[in-house]
Amino acid sequence: MARAVVAVVVAVLSSAFLLFLVAPVAGLVTAGGARGVASLGSDVELRRSLLLTATTATIATVLGVIGATPLAYLLARKSFPGRAIVSALMDLPLVIPHPVAGIALLLVLGRASPVGGVLFDMGLRVASSTTGIVCAMLFVSAPLYVSAAREAFARVDPRYESVARTLGDDAWRAFRRVTLPLSARGLTAAAVVMWARAISEFGAIVILTYNPKTASVLAYDRFTSYGLSETLPVAAVLVLFALIPLATLRALRGGDPLPRV
Amino acid sequence: MISLRQVNARSGSFALTDISFDVAQGAYGVVIGPAGSGKTTLLETIAGVVRAQSGKILLGSDDMTHAPPEARRLGIVYQHAYLFPHLTVRENVAYGALSRSIADDVAERFGVHALADRSVTSLSGGERQLVAIARTLARRPEVLLLDEPFSALDPRTRNIARRLLRAIYFERRFTVLQVTHDFTEAGLLGNVAIMLDRGRIVQQGDPEQVFRKPASPYIADFLGAENVFAGTAQPIRAEPPDWFASDDNEFIQHAVAFTTGQLTFYALGDVVPGPAHAVIRADEISLSTAEPSMSSVQNQFRGKIKEIVPVGALTRITVDAAGTPIVAAVTARSVRELQLFTGVDVVVGFKATAVHLC
Repeated sequence: MARAVVAVVVAVLSSAFLLFLVAPVAGLVTAGGARGVASLGSDVELRRSLLLTATTATIATVLGVIGATPLAYLLARKSFPGRAIVSALMDLPLVIPHPVAGIALLLVLGRASPVGGVLFDMGLRVASSTTGIVCAMLFVSAPLYVSAAREAFARVDPRYESVARTLGDDAWRAFRRVTLPLSARGLTAAAVVMWARAISEFGAIVILTYNPKTASVLAYDRFTSYGLSETLPVAAVLVLFALIPLATLRALRGGDPLPRV
Repeated sequence: MISLRQVNARSGSFALTDISFDVAQGAYGVVIGPAGSGKTTLLETIAGVVRAQSGKILLGSDDMTHAPPEARRLGIVYQHAYLFPHLTVRENVAYGALSRSIADDVAERFGVHALADRSVTSLSGGERQLVAIARTLARRPEVLLLDEPFSALDPRTRNIARRLLRAIYFERRFTVLQVTHDFTEAGLLGNVAIMLDRGRIVQQGDPEQVFRKPASPYIADFLGAENVFAGTAQPIRAEPPDWFASDDNEFIQHAVAFTTGQLTFYALGDVVPGPAHAVIRADEISLSTAEPSMSSVQNQFRGKIKEIVPVGALTRITVDAAGTPIVAAVTARSVRELQLFTGVDVVVGFKATAVHLC
């Protein structure tokens, strides 16, 4: 009897929570999905913002993968002084409000800052440019990649590398021939998570680069300029857009992990 | 040759301390020790996977203390095969092979060539281990490190794997260091036995010597000695000592009276008077249903059989001798002919030389 009551309570709570998550998204897609998809043909600004979002998110992800993979590997494999501090620093961008992240980036990379000044002299403007969008996306989403990539590396038993080393591989070759293939699925999933987080970023981008507009900034702009009705198609298309990485992630996680043999 | 000199190493919170031993070129060394004694860390330190913090590691005539694993010309086979799951059997064997023909040859020797195109995830435990050994040998290592590679296999597959490895070992005469917790295996395989406990070497030498003359009651117990008695040793100074020479020294042995419970054994040894332990292997003990007789067997005690347990080809018989349980190992034929049953009175006998004091 008690088990049945518990089962009912669990089912009701779970259903209510799922409804809370799904209802707004479903309502948005129902209300604006068809109009949004139809407007893709005529709404040049929406098309451009989607393309800009995808492009900058991809660049940020590529930079993140190149720059953060060695760090993720170090955190997964090596013990070094300050490792705990580095781990904590990696989580910092996840916990600070994103507009604050944008302000911090503006402070460091804005034209008035020493670094921003040098970059500007080199012809690289960060604020109010696609570079700024990439920086904002990289800052807020790379920690997610590091965390997931670290997990992916940690799941590969280091003895595979040890065996490869005794079979003649140097450290880099063992990493390339053994660790990388064995963690490839996890690393890809980590990159997809990063990309998904990047395309949904708003707070840091809006501080650093209002124009050109990413899809999230465009949705905000339409809302403040034209109201809810005009925003619905853009918002619905953004939701559909976000389903791409979500489906990819599901597919990547669906397969059986490589067993230890 | 594997030669370690005062090596200290650390893996996580575990430390190897002051490790020194030699395994001669082409010899077969075995490392014995309980779980957590540092056997795997020792092999990984020799392999260069775990860094030696101090000391010296010589492989052949080269100082390899700080050399990376790939420069050490050795191979390691773990208890789990660690086959690369994204590669086929053929690709695994060929991974570090000196040449394709060597890889094919070794795969054939180990009977895994028929599995060449299969995924390693579809192999049985025994097949995986054979592929792992073939993969290591295809590199033609000068030193082979084996970390209990047969322990997870069923007896039949274990015998096959051992036989194949032994054949190739005798053929090529590389140096082997094998970790095992099975002393029977160590005795069967090794030229040198190294007993490890809590990161330190507690005894090393000829396996038979380690088996018959353990350095401590703990080692005796770990090595499965059936009779380990705590008691008091008292050299019998009145008797002239025995002198005998070995390769590198001259030893003196006194007759010793060792008292445990109500029994006093006669033994030989160079011990300090006082508390000691006596170790007697069960196969050194004889049983008789006749009365004690005058013979060269110095130790004869009356007792009653308490337990009879057949173990493989031998039967372990526990005799209560004046309150002290003594275990003897006799053949099933002896049990039959002497009509040994629980409760039968017997005479337990063993020579003074069968008693090892530590």
